[in-house]
Amino acid sequence: MSADLGDRVDALGTRGTVAAAAVLAAVLAVAGLAVTGSGDTVVAVVALLFSKSTLAAALRLSVPIAFAALGGIFAEKSGVINIGLEGLLIISAFAGVYATSITGSVWLGVVGGVVASTLLALLFAVVCIEFRADQIIAGLAIWLIALGLAPFASQVVFGSKNASAGATFPDIQQLLADTGLPVVSTALVGALDALAGVPFLGALFEASPMVYLMFVAVGASWWTLNRTSFGRWVRASGENPKALDTAGVDVTRVRYAAVLLSGVLAGVGGAALSLSLGQFVGNGPTMVNGKGFIAIVTYLLGNYNPVGALLSTMLFAGLDALQLGLQGQDVLAIPQSLVRTIPYVSVIVVLALFGRTRIPEAAGEYYESGEE
Amino acid sequence: MTEAVRLDGITKRFPGVVANDDVTLSVERGTVHALLGENGAGKTTLMNVLYGLYEPTEGDVYVDGDGLTYDDEGAVADAPRRFDSPRDAIDAGVGMIHQHFMLVDPMTVAENITLGNEPRKWGGLAVDRAAAREAVLDLSERYGFDVEPDATIEDIGVGVQQRVEILKALYRGAEILILDEPTAVLTPQEVEDLFEVLEELTDAGKTVIFITHKLGEALEAADEVTVLRDGKNVGSVETAGTTREELAELMVGREVMLETETPPATPGAPTLTVDGVSANDERGVTAVDDVSFTVREGEVFGIAGVDGNGQSELVEVVTGLRKPTAGAVALEGTDVTDASRRARTRAGMAYIPEDRQERGLVMDFDLSENGVLGSQHDAPFAQGGRLDWTYADDHAADIIEEYDVRPPDATAEAKSLSGGNQQKFIVGREFARDPACIVASHPTRGVDIGSTEFIHDRLIDLRDEGRAVLLVSSKLDEVRGLSDRLAVMYRGRVVDVVDPDEVTEEQLGLLMAGEEPEDVPRADPVADAADATDGVAGTPPADDADAEVADD
Repeated sequence: MSADLGDRVDALGTRGTVAAAAVLAAVLAVAGLAVTGSGDTVVAVVALLFSKSTLAAALRLSVPIAFAALGGIFAEKSGVINIGLEGLLIISAFAGVYATSITGSVWLGVVGGVVASTLLALLFAVVCIEFRADQIIAGLAIWLIALGLAPFASQVVFGSKNASAGATFPDIQQLLADTGLPVVSTALVGALDALAGVPFLGALFEASPMVYLMFVAVGASWWTLNRTSFGRWVRASGENPKALDTAGVDVTRVRYAAVLLSGVLAGVGGAALSLSLGQFVGNGPTMVNGKGFIAIVTYLLGNYNPVGALLSTMLFAGLDALQLGLQGQDVLAIPQSLVRTIPYVSVIVVLALFGRTRIPEAAGEYYESGEE
Repeated sequence: MTEAVRLDGITKRFPGVVANDDVTLSVERGTVHALLGENGAGKTTLMNVLYGLYEPTEGDVYVDGDGLTYDDEGAVADAPRRFDSPRDAIDAGVGMIHQHFMLVDPMTVAENITLGNEPRKWGGLAVDRAAAREAVLDLSERYGFDVEPDATIEDIGVGVQQRVEILKALYRGAEILILDEPTAVLTPQEVEDLFEVLEELTDAGKTVIFITHKLGEALEAADEVTVLRDGKNVGSVETAGTTREELAELMVGREVMLETETPPATPGAPTLTVDGVSANDERGVTAVDDVSFTVREGEVFGIAGVDGNGQSELVEVVTGLRKPTAGAVALEGTDVTDASRRARTRAGMAYIPEDRQERGLVMDFDLSENGVLGSQHDAPFAQGGRLDWTYADDHAADIIEEYDVRPPDATAEAKSLSGGNQQKFIVGREFARDPACIVASHPTRGVDIGSTEFIHDRLIDLRDEGRAVLLVSSKLDEVRGLSDRLAVMYRGRVVDVVDPDEVTEEQLGLLMAGEEPEDVPRADPVADAADATDGVAGTPPADDADAEVADD
């Protein structure tokens, strides 16, 4: 009986682990709060946890982290540890706003963000793959370059470290209505409108288009990694590049492709972050504020599985949304600065309890064909 | 005759080294051809030229899996090939199975076999996994391989992994298969299986070239043998018309004593006592189960067994690298069960580890630095908190000279040496500690014939100086030839302690497989420590002049 249960727990795998972790973390958080507050406080926190606005905020906060995490998965699975994700998010957040302010289109803004991020990723790839630089140091350099460059460019172009794009994403219903197709603009939008009225889960039906793009990207990434030839080459390149090389596939090209892909994905995430607010904030750690590093944690927690990474991203983003809500409602009798640590503390707890990550064998190692 | 491969006057120079010097090699289609030579003789380099990993400095490569064509004068009519990469070689029907398998551990058998040539569907949007599985099953059946396409590589044995490698080459349409030291990692049974597989392949018209430094295997499995020495082809012979002695002489360039005389041992007092030791492996499963034995001064105590039956864990307990769950280890009467590795070294226990690159040497250190390892805390190396590098350099130079380590350069990094020379250096370093007890775990694994002979002689010398030697090896002829008493381990237990000179190979094989053969000649039991010190204990071993030293 117990062995059977054990097998079933194993069978649940990564996704089950992350889901269990999410539940546990939520319980821990609520229990922790209950100690400090009265019964009313607990009710208020639970009510907040299951409010539509919290889910909406969690989805919105997930987008940049999830895209960066997907990018990180491709790079690291191919053997190149890309800890420069933070920098890619920063540069694309600014480039997205800049391109939008020029063209007036948020979609061209996203393209601008992707281009900037991919170029920076290319620099990273050349330095690591061509010139054998240490990947960690090069990754940090990418972060620092973007951290200096983006606010500086903003200062030059806009006269301030903070810049406005002048436009944001339309919501999904607006976007569908704009297509002009009768079926889509009336029937589908009507259905979405009705579903959006559902408590809590209704938030799923009136989100930004980038949220839906995130779900599509997660599915596509999973498919690419697990079902396509390219995905196999990426995995082989990170586990045993020599095996891939002797099988006649150019490891260097696979790694370039994977790192550039991480630039594209992080670029979408960064542009989504800034353009969902319609502005770029370049003060201090910029508006990205560690999301690229959180992304690394989430894909490690998700054991390099895009779906696992999404779930752990949403766990983190959900706690972050809860934390924001708690600050806004002032229901807790503990200092705000402690409330703000909830997502980070929870992630550490979850990592300690459920961290069973299998790092690719050759991750971080330089590879050159023909070297004995 | 129809050749599948002809290498014509191949010379390959690296900066400062000529790895292949005007080598001409001809391989007949549908045969097994062994490329025999000591480590560093240029075998692998030559095959890397054939496989497109290296471009030859001079010479031509002719390849045709269906056989070369000839003009009227008997010269090769095919155009010489120029392989710029393994891809070109693969396209020409040449497949190589490397010594270190080129497999991706977390992937399945089918994924590995089709890697780089995946069957696709939906316009390339997906790998056709059903087709891949089918292709693997198909090939596997055709050549009588027994592989499960959905198994994960890390879950299958080494022998099966090797078959996966062969299937990988066949899947790519290989007509000519190059196997680099294919038997190095296999058990005797797996070697037999491999040779059967090779026969299946040649029966199907494939051509096999295998690289080896084990002349016994070359004789057994090949139709023809080409011997390389110092980068030159020193002769090609049909296996039907040659002898071990002839091949050995070709390999080494001088006469080799394949049969060494091991004088009988004169054991004295117990030096190393292992009493009721049990230990777990990394997964927490019992790997060593209540093992007891005594090694006396002046004797070699051998432990035989198929790899993975607890020998590694036992050695780690004895040397202080693993905590036993029960039992005690004593060195010269002192309990060292909880003593650290350093304390045991100081107490006189030298250790030749089974994995020289992991545990024996620091590959990025030069030989002077490696020579200090294990003694870095002690005089005369350490003086007042700093290391005496002048002394260390002299020490390394002494080892290099005494043990004929090449290149003779104490400033060379360990990784630049060949395996045999790395091993000779480790052996030299450990013996230089003047140990009372030597724990030698697979001391000649992957070592060439000359170095093996040398290491064996030195082990016997040390024994005759009155030191205790614990020898663990999976090479049967090695443990039989050197040991004075031989224990057989199976599933963590010592199933028997036999007299190595009387026991037959069949009996040993059965013991190693966990069976109980009849009439096993047991070694005389060791008397108590008290008796032993009286000087009357000890087994006058039977005549073992016939003991055969490993040929590999």
